[in-house]
Amino acid sequence: MIKVLFFAHLKDVIGSESVTLEMGGENIISLKKRISDQYRIDSLHTVMVAVNEEFADDSTILSDGDIVAFIPPVSGG
Amino acid sequence: MSERYSRQILFSGIGEKGQHTLGEKHVLLIGAGALGSANAELLVRAGVGKLTIVDRDYVEESNLQRQQLYTEKDVEQKLPKAAAAKKHLEEINSDTEVKVHVIDATAQSLQPLVPDVDLIMDATDNFETRLILNDLSHKYNIPWIFGACVGSFGMSYTIIPGKTPCLNCLLRTIPLQGMTCETSGIIGPAVQMTVAYQSAEALKILTENRGALRETFVSFDLWSGQFQSIKTGRSKKEDCLTCGTAASYPFLQPENSTKTAVLCGRETVQVRPPNPVDLELERLGRDFSAMGYEVKANPYLVSAQKDAERIVVFKDGRALVHGTKDIVHAKSVYQRLMG
Repeated sequence: MIKVLFFAHLKDVIGSESVTLEMGGENIISLKKRISDQYRIDSLHTVMVAVNEEFADDSTILSDGDIVAFIPPVSGG
Repeated sequence: MSERYSRQILFSGIGEKGQHTLGEKHVLLIGAGALGSANAELLVRAGVGKLTIVDRDYVEESNLQRQQLYTEKDVEQKLPKAAAAKKHLEEINSDTEVKVHVIDATAQSLQPLVPDVDLIMDATDNFETRLILNDLSHKYNIPWIFGACVGSFGMSYTIIPGKTPCLNCLLRTIPLQGMTCETSGIIGPAVQMTVAYQSAEALKILTENRGALRETFVSFDLWSGQFQSIKTGRSKKEDCLTCGTAASYPFLQPENSTKTAVLCGRETVQVRPPNPVDLELERLGRDFSAMGYEVKANPYLVSAQKDAERIVVFKDGRALVHGTKDIVHAKSVYQRLMG
Protein backbone atom coordinates (compact mmCIF):
# COMPACT_ATOMS: atom_id res chain seq x y z
CA MET A 1 0.00 0.00 0.00
CA ILE A 2 1.11 3.53 -0.68
CA LYS A 3 -0.40 6.72 0.67
CA VAL A 4 -0.80 9.75 -1.62
CA LEU A 5 -1.22 13.22 -0.10
CA PHE A 6 -2.77 16.07 -2.11
CA PHE A 7 -1.92 19.70 -1.48
CA ALA A 8 -3.56 23.03 -2.42
CA HIS A 9 -6.34 22.86 -5.05
CA LEU A 10 -5.65 19.16 -5.79
CA LYS A 11 -7.22 18.32 -2.45
CA ASP A 12 -10.46 19.94 -3.63
CA VAL A 13 -10.35 18.30 -7.06
CA ILE A 14 -9.81 14.83 -5.56
CA GLY A 15 -12.29 15.51 -2.76
CA SER A 16 -9.91 14.26 -0.09
CA GLU A 17 -6.52 15.23 1.29
CA SER A 18 -5.17 11.69 0.86
CA VAL A 19 -5.87 8.30 -0.71
CA THR A 20 -4.36 4.88 -0.10
CA LEU A 21 -3.58 2.71 -3.12
CA GLU A 22 -2.56 -0.89 -3.62
CA MET A 23 0.64 -0.39 -5.58
CA GLY A 24 4.29 -1.37 -5.65
CA GLY A 25 7.11 -1.73 -8.18
CA GLU A 26 5.59 0.92 -10.43
CA ASN A 27 6.96 4.40 -11.05
CA ILE A 28 5.62 7.94 -10.53
CA ILE A 29 4.41 8.17 -14.14
CA SER A 30 2.12 5.17 -13.60
CA LEU A 31 0.84 6.66 -10.36
CA LYS A 32 0.12 10.02 -12.05
CA LYS A 33 -1.68 8.23 -14.87
CA ARG A 34 -3.78 6.24 -12.43
CA ILE A 35 -4.77 9.35 -10.47
CA SER A 36 -5.45 11.37 -13.66
CA ASP A 37 -7.68 8.63 -15.08
CA GLN A 38 -9.57 7.99 -11.89
CA TYR A 39 -10.24 11.64 -11.02
CA ARG A 40 -10.17 13.08 -14.54
CA ILE A 41 -7.38 15.57 -13.88
CA ASP A 42 -5.15 16.66 -16.73
CA SER A 43 -2.88 19.09 -14.90
CA LEU A 44 -0.61 16.64 -13.08
CA HIS A 45 2.40 17.29 -15.32
CA THR A 46 3.28 20.52 -13.47
CA VAL A 47 2.84 18.97 -10.04
CA MET A 48 5.95 18.47 -7.90
CA VAL A 49 6.19 15.02 -6.37
CA ALA A 50 7.88 14.04 -3.11
CA VAL A 51 8.34 10.46 -1.97
CA ASN A 52 8.94 10.13 1.77
CA GLU A 53 9.70 13.87 1.98
CA GLU A 54 12.31 13.89 -0.79
CA PHE A 55 11.65 15.28 -4.30
CA ALA A 56 11.37 12.47 -6.82
CA ASP A 57 11.34 12.37 -10.63
CA ASP A 58 8.90 10.53 -12.87
CA SER A 59 11.06 7.41 -13.09
CA THR A 60 11.25 6.86 -9.31
CA ILE A 61 9.98 3.38 -8.43
CA LEU A 62 7.46 3.20 -5.59
CA SER A 63 7.58 0.57 -2.87
CA ASP A 64 5.11 -0.64 -0.31
CA GLY A 65 4.71 1.81 2.58
CA ASP A 66 5.83 4.91 0.62
CA ILE A 67 4.15 8.23 1.32
CA VAL A 68 3.85 10.31 -1.83
CA ALA A 69 2.95 14.02 -1.81
CA PHE A 70 1.55 15.80 -4.87
CA ILE A 71 2.35 19.50 -4.54
CA PRO A 72 1.17 21.89 -7.24
CA PRO A 73 3.36 24.98 -7.50
CA VAL A 74 1.19 27.97 -6.59
CA SER A 75 2.01 31.48 -7.65
CA GLY A 76 0.18 33.81 -5.26
CA GLY A 77 1.98 36.31 -3.15
CA MET B 1 23.34 50.00 21.00
CA SER B 2 19.93 51.24 22.15
CA GLU B 3 17.24 49.08 23.76
CA ARG B 4 15.51 48.81 20.41
CA TYR B 5 16.99 45.44 19.41
CA SER B 6 17.67 44.13 22.94
CA ARG B 7 15.34 41.11 22.69
CA GLN B 8 16.77 40.09 19.34
CA ILE B 9 20.33 40.50 20.64
CA LEU B 10 19.48 38.23 23.58
CA PHE B 11 18.53 35.53 21.08
CA SER B 12 21.62 33.29 20.93
CA GLY B 13 21.54 32.87 17.14
CA ILE B 14 21.96 36.63 16.61
CA GLY B 15 23.69 38.44 19.51
CA GLU B 16 25.48 41.84 19.30
CA LYS B 17 27.58 40.67 16.38
CA GLY B 18 24.65 39.37 14.36
CA GLN B 19 22.67 42.56 14.99
CA HIS B 20 25.57 44.68 13.81
CA THR B 21 25.98 42.51 10.70
CA LEU B 22 22.24 42.75 9.94
CA GLY B 23 22.46 46.55 10.12
CA GLU B 24 24.99 46.51 7.27
CA LYS B 25 22.97 44.34 4.89
CA HIS B 26 20.92 45.34 1.88
CA VAL B 27 17.84 43.35 0.82
CA LEU B 28 16.04 43.59 -2.53
CA LEU B 29 12.34 42.78 -2.10
CA ILE B 30 10.39 42.07 -5.27
CA GLY B 31 6.69 42.68 -4.75
CA ALA B 32 4.88 44.70 -2.08
CA GLY B 33 1.61 42.77 -1.85
CA ALA B 34 0.79 40.36 0.97
CA LEU B 35 4.16 38.57 1.21
CA GLY B 36 5.97 41.80 0.41
CA SER B 37 4.43 43.99 3.06
CA ALA B 38 4.80 41.39 5.81
CA ASN B 39 8.41 40.53 4.86
CA ALA B 40 9.26 44.24 4.64
CA GLU B 41 7.83 45.02 8.08
CA LEU B 42 9.65 42.07 9.65
CA LEU B 43 13.04 42.97 8.17
CA VAL B 44 12.69 46.68 8.94
CA ARG B 45 11.65 46.01 12.55
CA ALA B 46 14.57 43.58 12.87
CA GLY B 47 16.94 46.38 11.81
CA VAL B 48 18.17 45.52 8.33
CA GLY B 49 20.43 48.29 7.00
CA LYS B 50 18.81 48.96 3.65
CA LEU B 51 15.71 47.70 1.89
CA THR B 52 14.93 48.25 -1.79
CA ILE B 53 11.34 47.48 -2.83
CA VAL B 54 10.04 46.99 -6.37
CA ASP B 55 6.30 46.91 -7.09
CA ARG B 56 4.11 47.83 -10.06
CA ASP B 57 0.71 48.09 -8.37
CA TYR B 58 -1.28 50.52 -6.22
CA VAL B 59 -3.29 49.93 -3.03
CA GLU B 60 -6.91 48.78 -3.41
CA GLU B 61 -9.59 48.02 -0.84
CA SER B 62 -9.43 44.24 -1.39
CA ASN B 63 -5.75 44.31 -0.32
CA LEU B 64 -6.43 45.44 3.24
CA GLN B 65 -7.60 42.02 4.53
CA ARG B 66 -4.03 40.62 4.33
CA GLN B 67 -1.55 43.26 3.16
CA GLN B 68 -0.58 44.42 6.60
CA LEU B 69 1.29 47.64 5.85
CA TYR B 70 -1.59 49.45 4.15
CA THR B 71 -4.43 51.60 5.43
CA GLU B 72 -7.80 52.91 4.25
CA LYS B 73 -6.11 56.24 3.63
CA ASP B 74 -3.68 54.61 1.17
CA VAL B 75 -6.68 53.16 -0.70
CA GLU B 76 -8.37 56.55 -0.77
CA GLN B 77 -5.23 58.17 -2.19
CA LYS B 78 -4.60 55.28 -4.62
CA LEU B 79 -0.97 55.27 -3.52
CA PRO B 80 1.40 52.89 -5.28
CA LYS B 81 2.15 50.03 -2.89
CA ALA B 82 5.88 50.76 -2.93
CA ALA B 83 5.32 54.44 -2.01
CA ALA B 84 2.81 53.59 0.75
CA ALA B 85 5.17 50.92 2.08
CA LYS B 86 8.08 53.38 2.24
CA LYS B 87 5.97 55.88 4.18
CA HIS B 88 4.86 53.32 6.79
CA LEU B 89 8.24 51.56 7.07
CA GLU B 90 10.04 54.84 7.72
CA GLU B 91 7.60 55.55 10.56
CA ILE B 92 8.29 52.08 12.00
CA ASN B 93 12.09 52.27 11.94
CA SER B 94 14.06 55.29 10.78
CA ASP B 95 17.33 53.29 11.09
CA THR B 96 16.57 51.42 7.87
CA GLU B 97 17.12 53.15 4.56
CA VAL B 98 14.11 52.32 2.37
CA LYS B 99 14.33 52.81 -1.38
CA VAL B 100 11.38 52.08 -3.67
CA HIS B 101 10.78 51.69 -7.39
CA VAL B 102 7.24 51.89 -8.83
CA ILE B 103 8.07 49.78 -11.87
CA ASP B 104 7.35 46.43 -13.44
CA ALA B 105 9.90 43.81 -12.36
CA THR B 106 11.53 42.65 -15.60
CA ALA B 107 14.95 41.20 -16.43
CA GLN B 108 15.88 44.63 -17.79
CA SER B 109 14.56 46.72 -14.89
CA LEU B 110 15.94 44.46 -12.13
CA GLN B 111 19.42 43.83 -13.50
CA PRO B 112 20.91 47.18 -12.31
CA LEU B 113 19.42 46.72 -8.80
CA VAL B 114 20.83 43.26 -8.08
CA PRO B 115 24.66 43.54 -7.89
CA ASP B 116 24.53 45.74 -4.75
CA VAL B 117 22.38 43.51 -2.58
CA ASP B 118 23.05 40.69 -0.11
CA LEU B 119 19.72 38.88 -0.52
CA ILE B 120 16.73 38.83 -2.88
CA MET B 121 13.31 38.20 -1.31
CA ASP B 122 10.53 36.85 -3.51
CA ALA B 123 7.12 38.38 -2.91
CA THR B 124 5.91 38.22 -6.51
CA ASP B 125 2.68 36.64 -7.70
CA ASN B 126 3.85 34.87 -10.87
CA PHE B 127 6.44 32.37 -12.08
CA GLU B 128 7.63 34.51 -14.98
CA THR B 129 9.17 36.99 -12.52
CA ARG B 130 10.38 34.25 -10.15
CA LEU B 131 12.38 32.62 -12.96
CA ILE B 132 13.96 36.01 -13.70
CA LEU B 133 14.91 36.31 -10.00
CA ASN B 134 16.29 32.76 -10.14
CA ASP B 135 18.52 33.67 -13.12
CA LEU B 136 19.67 36.98 -11.59
CA SER B 137 20.48 35.23 -8.32
CA HIS B 138 22.78 32.78 -10.09
CA LYS B 139 24.32 35.31 -12.46
CA TYR B 140 25.33 37.58 -9.55
CA ASN B 141 25.82 34.85 -6.92
CA ILE B 142 23.22 36.26 -4.50
CA PRO B 143 20.86 34.00 -2.50
CA TRP B 144 17.11 34.33 -2.92
CA ILE B 145 14.13 33.07 -0.91
CA PHE B 146 11.11 31.76 -2.78
CA GLY B 147 7.67 32.10 -1.19
CA ALA B 148 4.15 31.57 -2.53
CA CYS B 149 0.70 31.06 -1.06
CA VAL B 150 -2.96 30.62 -1.94
CA GLY B 151 -6.02 29.68 0.11
CA SER B 152 -4.71 28.20 3.37
CA PHE B 153 -1.66 26.75 1.60
CA GLY B 154 1.89 28.04 1.29
CA MET B 155 5.40 27.02 0.31
CA SER B 156 8.93 28.36 0.69
CA TYR B 157 12.46 27.42 -0.33
CA THR B 158 15.85 29.06 0.09
CA ILE B 159 18.09 29.02 -2.97
CA ILE B 160 21.85 29.42 -2.56
CA PRO B 161 23.75 29.63 -5.87
CA GLY B 162 26.44 26.96 -6.14
CA LYS B 163 24.93 24.95 -3.33
CA THR B 164 21.23 24.12 -3.60
CA PRO B 165 19.20 23.10 -6.64
CA CYS B 166 17.52 26.17 -8.17
CA LEU B 167 13.83 26.84 -8.88
CA ASN B 168 14.32 25.82 -12.51
CA CYS B 169 15.64 22.40 -11.33
CA LEU B 170 12.61 21.86 -9.09
CA LEU B 171 9.93 22.89 -11.59
CA ARG B 172 10.09 20.17 -14.17
CA THR B 173 7.53 21.94 -16.31
CA ILE B 174 7.20 25.66 -15.97
CA PRO B 175 3.67 26.51 -14.86
CA LEU B 176 2.48 29.09 -17.37
CA GLN B 177 0.83 32.31 -16.38
CA GLY B 178 -2.88 31.65 -16.25
CA MET B 179 -2.59 27.99 -15.36
CA THR B 180 -1.70 28.97 -11.84
CA CYS B 181 -3.97 32.00 -11.64
CA GLU B 182 -5.62 31.87 -8.28
CA THR B 183 -9.34 32.17 -7.99
CA SER B 184 -9.72 30.39 -4.66
CA GLY B 185 -8.90 33.36 -2.43
CA ILE B 186 -6.47 33.54 0.44
CA ILE B 187 -6.51 33.90 4.22
CA GLY B 188 -4.07 36.05 6.20
CA PRO B 189 -2.53 33.17 8.20
CA ALA B 190 -1.28 31.49 4.97
CA VAL B 191 0.55 34.74 4.17
CA GLN B 192 1.97 35.05 7.70
CA MET B 193 3.21 31.44 7.80
CA THR B 194 4.91 31.76 4.41
CA VAL B 195 6.51 35.02 5.56
CA ALA B 196 7.61 33.40 8.85
CA TYR B 197 9.51 30.73 6.89
CA GLN B 198 10.95 33.26 4.45
CA SER B 199 12.02 35.84 7.02
CA ALA B 200 13.55 33.33 9.47
CA GLU B 201 15.79 32.15 6.63
CA ALA B 202 16.49 35.78 5.68
CA LEU B 203 17.66 36.54 9.24
CA LYS B 204 20.03 33.55 9.10
CA ILE B 205 21.57 34.74 5.82
CA LEU B 206 21.73 38.40 6.89
CA THR B 207 23.40 37.60 10.23
CA GLU B 208 25.78 35.19 8.48
CA ASN B 209 24.44 32.03 10.07
CA ARG B 210 24.35 30.03 6.86
CA GLY B 211 24.99 26.77 8.72
CA ALA B 212 21.53 27.16 10.27
CA LEU B 213 19.67 27.32 6.94
CA ARG B 214 16.79 24.86 6.63
CA GLU B 215 17.79 23.22 3.32
CA THR B 216 14.34 21.72 2.73
CA PHE B 217 11.38 22.88 0.65
CA VAL B 218 8.46 23.46 3.03
CA SER B 219 4.85 23.09 2.02
CA PHE B 220 1.93 23.42 4.41
CA ASP B 221 -1.82 23.82 4.67
CA LEU B 222 -3.03 25.64 7.78
CA TRP B 223 -6.64 24.54 7.30
CA SER B 224 -6.02 20.79 6.94
CA GLY B 225 -2.86 20.67 9.05
CA GLN B 226 -0.82 19.02 6.28
CA PHE B 227 2.93 19.66 6.36
CA GLN B 228 5.92 18.47 4.33
CA SER B 229 9.58 19.40 4.71
CA ILE B 230 11.10 18.02 1.52
CA LYS B 231 14.76 17.22 0.86
CA THR B 232 15.96 18.58 -2.48
CA GLY B 233 19.49 17.15 -2.74
CA ARG B 234 18.78 14.80 -5.63
CA SER B 235 16.96 17.45 -7.69
CA LYS B 236 20.00 19.45 -8.82
CA LYS B 237 20.44 19.10 -12.57
CA GLU B 238 23.90 19.44 -14.12
CA ASP B 239 22.35 20.54 -17.43
CA CYS B 240 20.13 23.21 -15.83
CA LEU B 241 20.33 26.41 -17.90
CA THR B 242 20.23 28.54 -14.74
CA CYS B 243 22.52 26.74 -12.27
CA GLY B 244 24.17 23.98 -14.34
CA THR B 245 27.68 23.76 -15.79
CA ALA B 246 26.70 25.64 -18.99
CA ALA B 247 24.34 28.24 -17.55
CA SER B 248 22.91 30.66 -20.11
CA TYR B 249 20.28 32.42 -17.92
CA PRO B 250 17.42 31.95 -20.40
CA PHE B 251 14.97 34.12 -18.47
CA LEU B 252 17.18 37.20 -18.82
CA GLN B 253 16.97 37.12 -22.62
CA PRO B 254 14.86 40.03 -23.93
CA GLU B 255 12.75 37.80 -26.21
CA ASN B 256 11.40 36.03 -23.15
CA SER B 257 9.75 39.10 -21.66
CA THR B 258 6.11 39.77 -22.39
CA LYS B 259 4.83 43.26 -23.00
CA THR B 260 1.25 42.65 -21.99
CA ALA B 261 0.06 40.44 -19.16
CA VAL B 262 -3.22 39.44 -17.54
CA LEU B 263 -2.83 39.95 -13.79
CA CYS B 264 -3.64 36.88 -11.75
CA GLY B 265 -7.20 36.62 -10.47
CA ARG B 266 -7.77 40.34 -10.94
CA GLU B 267 -9.82 40.95 -14.12
CA THR B 268 -7.01 43.32 -15.02
CA VAL B 269 -4.60 43.54 -17.94
CA GLN B 270 -1.28 45.37 -17.72
CA VAL B 271 -0.24 47.10 -20.94
CA ARG B 272 3.32 48.35 -21.32
CA PRO B 273 4.60 50.87 -23.86
CA PRO B 274 7.24 49.44 -26.23
CA ASN B 275 9.86 51.67 -24.59
CA PRO B 276 9.76 53.26 -21.12
CA VAL B 277 8.52 56.85 -21.14
CA ASP B 278 8.31 59.63 -18.53
CA LEU B 279 4.76 60.95 -18.67
CA GLU B 280 3.57 64.36 -17.60
CA LEU B 281 0.78 63.09 -15.39
CA GLU B 282 -0.89 66.47 -14.85
CA ARG B 283 -1.38 67.00 -18.56
CA LEU B 284 -2.57 63.42 -19.01
CA GLY B 285 -5.13 63.96 -16.25
CA ARG B 286 -6.43 67.11 -17.95
CA ASP B 287 -6.69 65.23 -21.29
CA PHE B 288 -8.68 62.43 -19.64
CA SER B 289 -11.00 64.96 -17.97
CA ALA B 290 -11.62 66.63 -21.31
CA MET B 291 -12.61 63.23 -22.72
CA GLY B 292 -15.31 62.93 -20.04
CA TYR B 293 -13.45 60.66 -17.62
CA GLU B 294 -13.62 61.03 -13.87
CA VAL B 295 -9.97 61.56 -12.92
CA LYS B 296 -8.01 61.00 -9.73
CA ALA B 297 -4.28 61.62 -9.59
CA ASN B 298 -1.24 61.57 -7.30
CA PRO B 299 2.45 62.08 -8.06
CA TYR B 300 2.77 58.46 -9.23
CA LEU B 301 -0.32 57.71 -11.33
CA VAL B 302 -3.53 58.90 -12.94
CA SER B 303 -6.73 56.91 -12.51
CA ALA B 304 -9.55 57.50 -15.00
CA GLN B 305 -13.06 56.08 -14.99
CA LYS B 306 -16.01 56.38 -17.35
CA ASP B 307 -18.94 53.96 -17.09
CA ALA B 308 -17.51 50.44 -16.75
CA GLU B 309 -14.13 51.46 -18.12
CA ARG B 310 -11.39 52.00 -15.55
CA ILE B 311 -7.73 52.54 -16.35
CA VAL B 312 -4.75 53.50 -14.21
CA VAL B 313 -1.69 54.96 -15.94
CA PHE B 314 1.71 55.13 -14.20
CA LYS B 315 4.50 57.65 -14.81
CA ASP B 316 6.53 55.11 -16.82
CA GLY B 317 3.67 54.72 -19.32
CA ARG B 318 2.44 51.40 -17.97
CA ALA B 319 -1.32 51.06 -17.59
CA LEU B 320 -3.61 48.72 -15.70
CA VAL B 321 -6.85 48.24 -17.62
CA HIS B 322 -9.45 46.99 -15.13
CA GLY B 323 -12.62 44.96 -15.67
CA THR B 324 -11.22 42.77 -18.47
CA LYS B 325 -9.06 39.70 -19.11
CA ASP B 326 -9.06 40.36 -22.85
CA ILE B 327 -5.62 41.51 -23.97
CA VAL B 328 -6.84 42.79 -27.36
CA HIS B 329 -9.58 44.87 -25.73
CA ALA B 330 -7.14 46.23 -23.13
CA LYS B 331 -4.66 47.25 -25.83
CA SER B 332 -7.37 49.06 -27.77
CA VAL B 333 -8.46 50.97 -24.65
CA TYR B 334 -4.81 51.90 -24.05
CA GLN B 335 -4.26 53.08 -27.61
CA ARG B 336 -7.46 55.07 -27.69
CA LEU B 337 -6.55 56.92 -24.50
CA MET B 338 -2.80 57.21 -24.86
CA GLY B 339 -2.65 57.86 -28.59
